[in-house]
Amino acid sequence: MFDANVLIAAIARSGDRAAFAELFDHFAPRVKGLLMRGGASAELAEEIAQETLLSVWRKAAMFDPAKASASTWIATIARNRRIDVARREIRSRLSQVYEILDDEGPQPPDETISAAERDTRVRAAMTKLSADQYRVVELAFLEGLSHQDVATHLAIPLGTVKSRLRLALSHLRSKLEDLR
Amino acid sequence: MSIAHRPSDETLVAFATGTLDEGLALVVAAHIELDRESRRRTREFMAIQGELLDRVEPVAMAAGHPAEKLEQLLAIPAPLSPPIEADMPAVLRPYALGPWRPIGLRIAMRRVEVPGADSRVFMLRAGPGIALPPHKHTGFEWTTILAGAYEHEYGRYAAGDFDEADAEHDHTPRVDPVEGCTCLVAMTGKVLLQGWLGRLLQPLVRF
Repeated sequence: MFDANVLIAAIARSGDRAAFAELFDHFAPRVKGLLMRGGASAELAEEIAQETLLSVWRKAAMFDPAKASASTWIATIARNRRIDVARREIRSRLSQVYEILDDEGPQPPDETISAAERDTRVRAAMTKLSADQYRVVELAFLEGLSHQDVATHLAIPLGTVKSRLRLALSHLRSKLEDLR
Repeated sequence: MSIAHRPSDETLVAFATGTLDEGLALVVAAHIELDRESRRRTREFMAIQGELLDRVEPVAMAAGHPAEKLEQLLAIPAPLSPPIEADMPAVLRPYALGPWRPIGLRIAMRRVEVPGADSRVFMLRAGPGIALPPHKHTGFEWTTILAGAYEHEYGRYAAGDFDEADAEHDHTPRVDPVEGCTCLVAMTGKVLLQGWLGRLLQPLVRF
């Protein structure tokens, strides 16, 4: 059975190329799909997906399952590579800022929930969203669209976007807080 | 550190998805570095992205495994971390900082070079009890307090707090009478400063 944590650990331990190939086959098409959902062209999405999985290879030893699930960690790397690619002409250092926060942000000692728990809760909460709420969350998160852009995209009033997103986020928040 | 003021959800979502202007993102990052709660919320927003990654329809890759690139990667040594300056937010490390320049009595500012940002980013250090120049702006003025505190009509902002001011605000911050204040600021749009100190500051904030 596919277990991303085991594969990443194998890469970190011994540079296991078979493990990398399996991880690549699973995640690269998903990263590509996610970026295309976010409006990237197929070529750009492919390039960023490649870069993302190469970063996974390079950073495998830094992966900490207690801090984030594999999917969340890889989504984070994909965001950073997307920033690098989108802003490479202006010599942006923003992805380094994210990496500093992710790598060095101390795990608060009193944070009792594990990343696995957090992900389970996020997953559960997301399935409870209405289709409308899910779409707004998807647009806000995938495409990083501003409220105004989401409103234009869905052809609904700005106020509706704001209230749907606020409702969706507070719904997610309350689900997450149940278990804290 | 007890934090009273945090970024809005919309701001944190924009930060988590990497779509904020780089200067504004840097000020948010300096706050997140200091605030456990915002760090936790940002992680939740990243977990949502992880969940979206799991649910998305995969799109087949055109090329196969990047075996050739892998070989190249193995030959690259790990990058060295730049030196750390004491008392500086870690997130500022990738950026070049200008020298501290006095811009008035017991006020100094230091430019943060953020290539490609639409905002102007700088650190500001003010002595105890100083009233910062009254000002209005046409864009955002986001501030993370790094040390000390200031106070204005919306409350007291101490180390770690995030001040998310927009064009609606028109305020006159007063610096803590004992501790003074050091903060990191990103501004978009025009700043309209008033008073003698404002006139001194004006050419500097415009860069």
